[in-house]
Amino acid sequence: MLYTVLPLEEVLEGFELDPQPTVQLSWGGIPVEAEPLGSFQARVVRVLSTDPRHYLEPHVQPGTIIHGQIV
Amino acid sequence: MFEQPQGERAPAKGVPTLQTIKELGQMATPAGPWGEEMPFHCLTIIGQIEGHIVLPPRNKTTKYEHVIPQLVAIEQNPKIKGLLVVLNTVGGDIEAGLAIAEMLTTMTTPVVSLVLGGGHSIGAPIAVAADHSVISATATMTIHPIRLSGLVIGVPQTYEYLDKMQERVIRFIVQHSRVAEPVLREMMFRTGELVRDVGTVLVGAEAVRVGLMDEVGGVSTALTRLAQLAAQREGGPH
Repeated sequence: MLYTVLPLEEVLEGFELDPQPTVQLSWGGIPVEAEPLGSFQARVVRVLSTDPRHYLEPHVQPGTIIHGQIV
Repeated sequence: MFEQPQGERAPAKGVPTLQTIKELGQMATPAGPWGEEMPFHCLTIIGQIEGHIVLPPRNKTTKYEHVIPQLVAIEQNPKIKGLLVVLNTVGGDIEAGLAIAEMLTTMTTPVVSLVLGGGHSIGAPIAVAADHSVISATATMTIHPIRLSGLVIGVPQTYEYLDKMQERVIRFIVQHSRVAEPVLREMMFRTGELVRDVGTVLVGAEAVRVGLMDEVGGVSTALTRLAQLAAQREGGPH
């Protein structure tokens, strides 16, 4: 149920496109869900931790692009 | 597994927050240090509770296999003095929901639940599983019977099975809250309150009045209770 001034077609724009598949990984000891962008980059989707400190770490904020190597 | 780079990705100084959000979809966090251990952990239960079936990617889900190991880790960590469970769920898998509820209720680490927005269906047992349950004034909880939507019940066994599932949920809620069984059953099968269904919607204080939840409040209420429970536990025998 939505309660918004935006027209529904604007809110649901791109709804028919499937979201990118995600992977779970540990980034500096913080469990995150990320969307892979090729082999060496991924964009953080969400943090999967219960430790409140992990949500304050700037390097795993959702949207951040993390660089690394899949090992 | 990703390897951690050294000293990379430091956000550029002086970049306005709005610009950062626009370009990367990310938000700057308050500056640290965050070195000291926080005494209470926070578990968010949002969207659908996912169990045996992986839901389509459009659904926002709380996954059983994420939550259960975290609860095990919290229970074993003596530095974690309490757990705040924040619920905003539309319900979901009964067995996954009951599993999370059973885990929460059997933890020695103090647990306080806070229902924000909604704690519907299988969210109710999870909310009452905590040592103390808080509901925000505008949050709602829908109590309704378990059913298979869109399916015609063809054989008596199907009904019996649903009835057993129903009993498990009712028993759990009655055992872990102040709500009386006849009251809960009456609310569950009430007609005239939900548009196309039987059941009851409880808003904030009503959930406390019927005895389902303990208190109306917010984040400070929940954290204060958690601190009290943690202090009691520290003082008491182990």
